[in-house]
Amino acid sequence: MENQKFYYDNKIVKLFILATLVWGVVGILVGILAAAQLAFPVFNFGLEYTTFGRVRPLHTNAIIFAFVGNAIFAGVYYSMQKLLKTRMFSDTLSKIHFWGWQTIIVLAAVTLLAGITTSKEYAELEWPIDIMITIIWVIFGWNMIGTLIVRRVQHIYAAIWWYLATFLGVAILHVVNSFELPISLFKSYSIYAGAQDAVVQWWYGHNAVAFFLTTPFLGLMYYYLPKAANRPIYSYKLSIIHFWSLIFLYMWAGPHHLLYQALPEWAQALGVTFSIMLIAPSWGGMINGLLTLRGAWDKVRDSAALKFLVVGVTAYGMSTFEGPMMSLKTVNQITHFTDWTIAHVHIAGMGWNGGLVFGMLYWLVPKLFKSKLFSEKLANIHFWMSTLAILLYAIPLYWAAVTQWLMWQEYTPEGFLAYPNFLETLTQIVPMYMVRVVAGFLFLGGFLIMVFNLAKTMKAGSFINNEASEAPALVLAGKRNPVTETVHRWMERKAVRFSILTFVALAIGGAVEIIPMIFIKSNVPTLESVTPYTPLELEGRDIYVAEGCYVCHSQMVRPFRWETDRYGEYSKIGEFVYDYPFQWGSRRTGPDLARAGVIGGPMYKNAAWHYNHFMDPQKMNEESIMPNYAWLAVKNVDVTMTPKKIRAMQTLGVPYEEGYDQKAVADLMAQAQTISDDLKASGIELAPEKQMIALIAYLHKLGRDIMSENAAVTEEHGETAEQQQAHEITLLDTPEDLEAGKKLYQANCVVCHGPEGKGIPPAFPSLVDDEWIKGNKPADVYHSIAEGNVAKGMIPYKNMLSEKQITQLASYVLITLHEQNQEK
Amino acid sequence: MKIVSDLLTSIEGIQIFYIVGLLIFVVLFIVITIRTMRMPDKEMENIKNSILADGESEEITTSN
Repeated sequence: MENQKFYYDNKIVKLFILATLVWGVVGILVGILAAAQLAFPVFNFGLEYTTFGRVRPLHTNAIIFAFVGNAIFAGVYYSMQKLLKTRMFSDTLSKIHFWGWQTIIVLAAVTLLAGITTSKEYAELEWPIDIMITIIWVIFGWNMIGTLIVRRVQHIYAAIWWYLATFLGVAILHVVNSFELPISLFKSYSIYAGAQDAVVQWWYGHNAVAFFLTTPFLGLMYYYLPKAANRPIYSYKLSIIHFWSLIFLYMWAGPHHLLYQALPEWAQALGVTFSIMLIAPSWGGMINGLLTLRGAWDKVRDSAALKFLVVGVTAYGMSTFEGPMMSLKTVNQITHFTDWTIAHVHIAGMGWNGGLVFGMLYWLVPKLFKSKLFSEKLANIHFWMSTLAILLYAIPLYWAAVTQWLMWQEYTPEGFLAYPNFLETLTQIVPMYMVRVVAGFLFLGGFLIMVFNLAKTMKAGSFINNEASEAPALVLAGKRNPVTETVHRWMERKAVRFSILTFVALAIGGAVEIIPMIFIKSNVPTLESVTPYTPLELEGRDIYVAEGCYVCHSQMVRPFRWETDRYGEYSKIGEFVYDYPFQWGSRRTGPDLARAGVIGGPMYKNAAWHYNHFMDPQKMNEESIMPNYAWLAVKNVDVTMTPKKIRAMQTLGVPYEEGYDQKAVADLMAQAQTISDDLKASGIELAPEKQMIALIAYLHKLGRDIMSENAAVTEEHGETAEQQQAHEITLLDTPEDLEAGKKLYQANCVVCHGPEGKGIPPAFPSLVDDEWIKGNKPADVYHSIAEGNVAKGMIPYKNMLSEKQITQLASYVLITLHEQNQEK
Repeated sequence: MKIVSDLLTSIEGIQIFYIVGLLIFVVLFIVITIRTMRMPDKEMENIKNSILADGESEEITTSN
C-alpha cells in the first residue's frame, strides 16, 4: 500500500518542555521557601501574601499541575504522534491547550497568594479557574481522541490506554469535587458539607495522585523506558491485567485519608481493603518496568536517562507499598497528621514523577534537537544530587514523624500527658526541618544543572518544527474474528469503545463510595445541639479558609486517649453538618483546633490571648513557628457580602430563619461588639469590624455546641472547688525541684505569663508583683494553678499535672521568678 | 441536594452496591486474566516490538 506523507508537530512538544523547566524551578523554589518557613518563621516575611498557609498550596499546585502537568503533556504529545503515526488532530487545539494551561497556572499563583482559595487540598482554585480547567481539559481530551480517530496504526499501544484513563479519570474527579455555589467572582462554597465534603475531597485527593501522578506516568513509562533501553516492554499480558485492575481499584481507596475520623465505619473499611488490594496492580507496573531492563542493565551504567527511569520506577514500587501500609489503621495513627505523609509524597513526587520526567527529558531533548546530550557527566551529577536529595529529605521527616507521634502519646507514670504543650513536640523536630531545607537546595541545584545541560543540548542541535514522516493509511479491520483475535486485541482497535469501558471501570468505584454518603441520611447522624454559624462566625470561618489555617491546624480529634486528653472530646460526624467546606486538615504542624471554643477545655484561649498570639506569636512563645497575622487587626470584614452568604447557606440547606439575611449584619455587629468590649476589659483596643474579631468568634465556636453538658459539669465543679479550703503546702526549694518547676513553667505558663513571669497585664497578670488576685501564699498559688480560671482562659492544671508537679511549679514561681525579679 | 435526597434514605440494603461492584471486578478480573494468559506469545512479541519499529531506533531487539 502507498505511504502517506505527514508531519509530526514537534513545536508543541518543545513548548511543553520549556514550560516544564520554567515551572519546575518555580515550584521547587516555592517549596524551599515553605520548608524554610517551618524551620525559621522569619521567612513568612510578616506579609499576608507570603504566610505558610498560602505558600504551601502554591508549592503543591505548582509542582503537581505546573511542573508535572506540563511534563505529562510534553511526553503525551510526543509519544502519541509517534505511536499513532500521525500529527496531532488539531494544531489549534494544541495551542489553546498549551496557552490555556499556562494561563491557569499564572491565575492559580496570583489567586492562591491573594488568599482566594476553596481550601480543598490540590483543588484550592476558585470556581472561575475551575471552569477554565474543565474547558482546557476537554480540549486536551478532544485533541487526544481526535488523534486516535485519525491514526495510521491498527491497535492502540498500552501507553495510550493510560493516557485515556488519565483524561477520563481527571475529568470525573475534577467535575464532581468542584461543585460549588458562587457568591462572587472570588468566593464560593462547596455544595457538600462536613463528612460528605471530606469523602468527596479525599476521593478526589487520593485519585488526583492516581490519575495525575500515576496513570499518565505509567503511560510515559510504557513508551519512554522501552525507547531509552531500546528493548520491548517485559510483558504485554501483564500490562493488560495491571491496567484494568489499577484503574478499577484506585477509585475505591479514597477514605484511607480519613481513618479514625468522623466517617462511617463502612467507608473506612472500604478504603483500607481496596488500598491493600492496590499493591498488586501497582507492583505489576513496577515489575513490568524493571524487568524490561533484564539483560540490559549494562545500559543503565552508561545512560543518565535510564538511571533516572530506574530510580523513578523503584520509587514508584516503594511508594505503592508504603501507601497501602499507611492505610492500615494501626499504622495510620502514626502516619496521619505527622510528617510521615509528607515524606511519603516526596519519595513519590521527587523519585517517581521527578525521575520519570528527568529520564524522559534526557532522552527526548537530544532526539528532538537531533543532537547528543551536551554532557552525560553533568546528567550523572544531577542524578546523584537528586537521589541524595530525596534521601536527605525523606529520612529526617520519617524521623520527625515517629518522634512527634511518640511524644504526642507519651504519658507520665502519674497518668498525665508527658508533653501537654503541643509546641514541645514541634520544637523537637525543627532541626529535621532545617535538614529538609538543605535537601531542597540540593534538589534545586541538580535541577538547574539539568536546565543548563538541556539548554546547551538545544543550542548545539537543530530543531525542526514539523518533522516529515510517512506511513501507510489505516485500513479498517472490520468485525472480530473470534479465532484469530482476542476480545482485548479487538478492543485495542476500537478507541471509543475502549474509552467507554475505561470510563465504566472508573465510575463504579467513585459512585459506590460517594453516592451513599451523600444520599443516605443515616450516614450523617445529626446532633440537636449543633447550631449554624452566626454571621460573625461565618465571616471568621471564611478568613480561616482564606488564610489557609487548615494547612497546619486540624479540626479532628481522633478517638485516642492521647488525643482526647490533649484536645477534648473526640469529633463526631454530626458536628460538621454546617461546614461548607470541611476543615479537618491533614497535617498538624500546630495543635488541633476542633475544641478551641470549649470553655474550661484544654484548648480554650480567651480573646486577649488570641489577640496577642495573632499579633506576635513569638512574643508569646519564642519557639513558636506560627506566622504573625497582624493585618487581621487592620483589615475590616466586608459585611456587604454577609447577607448574600447567609442566603447561599440557606440554599445549601442551613436552617437560618426566613429573611435572616436582612438581620445578619446587625447580629454580626452586636456579637463583634461583645468581643471588642471583652478585649477592652483586658486593655486591648480593637474595633468590632476588624477581621481578627470575626476569626476569634469562629475559634470560640469550635466545639462549643457539643460542650454544653460537659461545661456545665466543669463550671459546677469549678464553683465547688472555689469553695474548698485551700490545703496547706510546703514549697519545694531543692535545685532539682526548682529545675523541674522551670521546665513545667516553660511548657505550660510562659505563653501567657512570659518567660520572666511579668505577664501582659491586665489580660495575663504578672506573677512577680505583689498584687495577687487570689493571694500569693503557697497554698493560694497551688490552688490557682490546680483550679485555673476558666472564665479567663486558664485551664485547671490538676487535670494535666500531678500534685507534686503543681507544687514544683508554685515553688518556681514564688522562689526563682520572685528572686530573679528582685535582683533586677 | 434536597432534590435528590429522597433517592436513597436508608442504609439498609446498600451493601448490594458493593457486592455487585466487587463481583463485576472479580469476574472480569478472572476472565481477562485467563484470556490474556492464553494469548499466543508470538503475537505478543509483535505488539511489544511495534513501538520500537518507527524507523528511528537503531535496532529491534526481541524479547529473550
